[in-house]
Formats: sequence, C-alpha cells, structure tokens
Amino acid sequence: MDSLVAEKLGKCYILQGSGVKRQTSTFRERLQPWKNADGEQSETREFWALRDLSFRLQPGSILGIIGANGAGKTTLLKILARVITPTTGRVVGVGRVVSLLELGAGFDPDLPADENILMNAAMFGIPKHEAIRRMPEIFEFAGVERFEGTPLKHYSSGMYLRLAFSVAINMNPQILLADEILAVGDQLFQDKCLQRISEDAASGLTVLFVSHDMEAIVRLCNRVMWIHAGQVMKIGEPELIVDEYQNAIWSQADASRSEKGRRANRFAEILAIRLVSDTGRDIGGAPISEDVYVKVRLHVLKAHINVRCALDVNTRGQLLFRSADPQTHRFDEEGIYDIFAKIPANLLAESTYSVTVNCSLMYHDEPREFLLVAYNALSFIAFSTEDTTVPVSGGRLQKLGLIAPKLEWTVKAEKVDAARA
Amino acid sequence: MLLALRRLFGWETSAEQSEEARDWRQYKWVILPTRQGFFARVEEIWRYRRILWFFAVQRIKDRYEGTTLGPFWLFARPLMPIAISTIVFGRLLNVPSDGVPYFLFFLAGSSCWRIFERSMLWAAQSLEAAKGLIKKVYFPRLIAPIASVAPAVTEFGILFTLLVIACIAYWVKDGVMYLRLGTGMVAAVAAVVLTCFFAVSIGLWTSVLQVRHKDVRYSVRYMSQFWNYATPVIYPMSQVPPKYHFLMYLNPMAPLVEMYKWGMLGIGVFPAKELASGLLIISIVFAAGVVYFNRSEAASVDKL
Repeated sequence: MDSLVAEKLGKCYILQGSGVKRQTSTFRERLQPWKNADGEQSETREFWALRDLSFRLQPGSILGIIGANGAGKTTLLKILARVITPTTGRVVGVGRVVSLLELGAGFDPDLPADENILMNAAMFGIPKHEAIRRMPEIFEFAGVERFEGTPLKHYSSGMYLRLAFSVAINMNPQILLADEILAVGDQLFQDKCLQRISEDAASGLTVLFVSHDMEAIVRLCNRVMWIHAGQVMKIGEPELIVDEYQNAIWSQADASRSEKGRRANRFAEILAIRLVSDTGRDIGGAPISEDVYVKVRLHVLKAHINVRCALDVNTRGQLLFRSADPQTHRFDEEGIYDIFAKIPANLLAESTYSVTVNCSLMYHDEPREFLLVAYNALSFIAFSTEDTTVPVSGGRLQKLGLIAPKLEWTVKAEKVDAARA
Repeated sequence: MLLALRRLFGWETSAEQSEEARDWRQYKWVILPTRQGFFARVEEIWRYRRILWFFAVQRIKDRYEGTTLGPFWLFARPLMPIAISTIVFGRLLNVPSDGVPYFLFFLAGSSCWRIFERSMLWAAQSLEAAKGLIKKVYFPRLIAPIASVAPAVTEFGILFTLLVIACIAYWVKDGVMYLRLGTGMVAAVAAVVLTCFFAVSIGLWTSVLQVRHKDVRYSVRYMSQFWNYATPVIYPMSQVPPKYHFLMYLNPMAPLVEMYKWGMLGIGVFPAKELASGLLIISIVFAAGVVYFNRSEAASVDKL
C-alpha cells in the first residue's frame, strides 16, 4: 500500500500589480477603482508555483527533492504539511505527518524546552501523557538533558536544531517532511540524524527530504525527484538524477550570465570565443583524451596595440584555475586576429566547464592598461571516449573531482630488507 | 437547497475521520483544494483544543508578562477610565443610573462592554499576530480569533472582582446590597458568553480582512468608539426615548449589556424582544462568518 500519493497537485498564486511585492491594498484603492483605470495599471497574473505534480511513495521510501531556488520544493512540503492549501489536485496519505519546515517552527522562544515539547506534541495531535512519557528520550537524543527548563531563547542555534529534530523524530511519525534542516548543526549530529532517519525508514517511515546538499541526498535517499518550475523533471535513482541536475544547473547559470562583461572598447573588441579542435573546427564538447583550443577572435580597431590574454576556467560554480599568456603580442595593424589557448589532453574531468576571457590592452608604449572581459563566454562539456571508471569503494566512480589529470604511475621493486629498515 | 446547505456547512464528516482517534498509523487523510465545512471544522478544533489553550495563555501572557507592576496594572488599567467617567458623567453631568450608584452602574455596564471591545480588537489582529506560526505549522486557523477572547475574559474577571468589592463596600457604607445574588446571575453569565461569541463572530470577518487591508484594525477601533455610545453603557436604557428603541434592536450589544446589568444589579427590565433580535443577528454574523473564514482562509494565508 502507498503511504503517500499526490495527484496532479497544483498551487497558483495571484500576483497583483507590478509583482509579488504588492500584496496588500488599502480600502481606499479598492473603493476608488476608477483611479486605476487611467493611473497605474493594476493587472493580476497567475503564477503556478506547482503544476500537475504527481508521485506515489511506499512506506520506507526516502525521497530526496532537488531543484533550483523557486522550483517549488518548499511549496510542495508546505502543502503536504497543510500549511497552505493546494489549488488543484489532491493528496492521500496514511498516518501522522510531522514537518520540519523551518528551524524551530512552532517553538516559542519564551517558553522552556519541556513546555515547548508539549505544545509541539499538541500540534502533531499527540496526547499530553504520551508526550511526557517520551520527553526523556527526546532530550537524550538532542543531548540537551541539562537544559530542560531553560527558555528556548537562551539555546544556541545548534541546540535549537537538535531539539527540533529530536522532537519531530520522536513524535513517531509515519511521514516526515524535512526542508533543508540539516544545513545547521555539526557533522556529528548530522550523521546521527541521517542514521536515525535511515533506521526509521527501514521500519516503515516515509521521508521527504529537501536539500541543496547533494552529498547528503545521495547518501540518504533511495529516490530523488528533480523539480523544475513547479513540475517534475525527473524522478528516479539518486546518483543519476543528481548528476544530471548538477550538469544542467551549471550550463544554465552560464547561459544567463553570458551577456555580462565589457567586451569592447575603442582599441579592440572580442568578437567570439569558441572551442576548437586540433584542426581548427568548432566543437561543442571537449574530448578529454585530445587537445582542445580556446579560440579568442579579436577585432583590433587601432594599430600598435599590445595584447595579453588570460583564461578563467570555472566548474561547478568554482574557479578551477586562471592561466595567462606568458607573452604579450603586438598588433601593428588593424584587423581580425585569432588567439589560441591550448587545453592539454587528459586534464579535464567529465563535467561542465565555463570560460571567462580577460584581455589586457596597452596602446603603444603607454603605461595605461585597458581591460576587456567576457564573462562565461564559453561553456562546454568535457566528455570521455574511454572508460574512466575507477575502482573505488562507495559507488560513485565517475565524475569525481574537478579535474582528472593523467598521472604517471610507475612501480619499482625494492628489496624487502631495505623496506623493513 | 438542502444539498447546498449540506455542502456549505459540511454536515458529513467522513467515516475515516471518526475512526482516526483509534490508531494514527492507520489513519488515512486527504488534502483537497476545498476546505472542509462547518462541522468538520468544529470537530477539528476540538481535536486541537490544547493548542487553543496554549494560544489563550500566550495571549494573556503577552499583555502582562514582563511588566514590573504586573498586579498593579491589572487593576489600574481598567479602573482609571471608569473612575474618570464616573466623575464626569455621574457627578458633573448627573446622568441617571436607574437607582444604583453611578459607579456601580457604569462598572457593570462597561465590564460587559469591554469584553466585547477588547476581544473584537484583538480578534481583528489575531491572524496577523500568529503569522509566524501559521506559516510554518498547521493548526485550525479558527483557533487564532477564538483565542483572542482570552485576555478580554481575564480583564472581565478583574472588573467583576472590582464590582463585587465595590458592592460590598457600598453595603458596608450604605447598608444596601446592590448585588443581586440568585437566578439573575445565570442571565449575567449568559450575557458574558454571548458577548464573547459575538466578538468572535465579528473577528471571523475582521481577522481575514485585516490580512488584506491593513486599515481594518483602525476601522474597528474607530467604529468601536461609536458603538460604545450606541450601547447603554454610560446611560441607562430608560433614558432613551421610546421612539428610538427600535435602533437598539439592531445593536445586539444593547440587550446583552442590559441583560448583564439586569442580572448583576437587578436594574432595568429583561430585554426579551431585543435579545431575540440580537440573537438572530449574532447567529447570522457567526454562520456567515464561518463560511467566509473557511473560504478566504487559504487565500489569506498565502498573503500573510
């Protein structure tokens, strides 16, 4: 039997006027509708935070939910927690739902811990005697036994989190909703939480776990749902979906940033930046086992220009390296020039890379330097035609690391006696 | 017609729901875009009654906790305006008071009125005040306006104590016991309960409206001042010319205040006809309020 079934869930928000900000109107504006007619146009438009979202979960499944900010992850959890009402569709579930939507939600900072536990228990429909019976367990798991009577406002944020999680998991839920809660808290407690979630899942707890921490997702979940713009993009094996998702978001981020930067001034203009192969042909992806070139096409507008270029290579949101041309080139004539930077074979890993090009320009022998920048002007995927699988324990064998240089491995036999000494 | 009524109030509570108390593990729940109706709501509030209690205690604490002169304010705050009004209306203007000292007359009238006024004001802000919780955890939202009656009831308790003390003082001084001990008290209690109920009924409307229009709170405060004068608190009903009595039928608070004074001090007459029309108005405001609250709740929570 399914423990949680969502069918065609949708949530629609009506945005008023210029955007989300204008959510309130005073009586005056309501009472004078004619003012809007010729004044500012107050238009309403629909925004679907979730649309036609369906899934079913069996008891014991741990569903990781991933997606960019604003994709609808939190909206989904809030609907399941009944904090907001869906516009369309329905959810059928079995058993008690306990939600950890935000750190310390439903806690009153002025009340001592034990009273807060009682209040929380009441919210989850647990009778008082039952809550009192479980209290030692809760404090023990949270490791805050000595602070039972302390008002929560004196708790550190770590203690707060530990207590919140401990209360939730000890309420004996059949369905647990967790939204990015493990972001705070030390590694030790995080491990303890993940351990406990796995244990409880083994005995039938269904977990919906929203996180941006892909490591935790892969470690904990047995299924992953990727939500994009309120709809399910993919649902399936954690490792596959996480990899696909990460590749997608980086190439997307590059696309959105590509227009920024200063690509031209009165001396020169960067016309294009391309990835080309040995033969000079444009290529979309870089075969790891071959040399590839970043080609910068520069239109020199004024003669006698000294040019020096540098590349920033980024992957997964981090600067991987910056490399500058050791030489300065002098262009004594106007015209179009191509500058090539070779990326050697067996350096890149299977990942998405983006390249930012910096050009420093100096006119004649003047000491002033002018800079052209093309942010993330090029993004490409490095792929392998060979088998890159490495025998490592733990499962995820490929695409680990930001680069994958080919090292030279040698074996040398040493005398046994010498090794002992 | 009947079907429409059933749908409106949600007479049927599903079979699954009645069985839930037995075993949570087997309890099957459904979330639908349309909210459950009236009776499912009442049942839900009963299930969450402890939250209601927490809320009520919290609202009372909000008002008095952290004050250095706690007990002093408890009495001083309501007593001050009453003392001033007694001097102005009772002494200077000689407003008649149906044969009891004006202080007692005014104290009785305003204790009943104050429950109404305070609850109504707090109920209007209740959803907004509980915003932090409402956006993070689920509980029946109706609890917020209902719980806002709590501080008003404590304030009433204080005024009631004052009234009893004052009556005893007058008894010692004049040898007349103005307090009417007996069955009349039942009417007084009923008046108090109905007053709370009426305040909540109005709160159902104002709390939801307040989320969308921030000026509702001020409007309520503003209106309540006029309403006070339209209710026989500072003057007795007997001073109102009979041709204006019909206006009192339209104001449910008038018979309630009269009934309270009749019950406590035995002055005036039991306002039977006015009460009947008042009850009718209150039930309409309440029933329509629940329906309105149900309908607009989801949209309002989105806007919080």
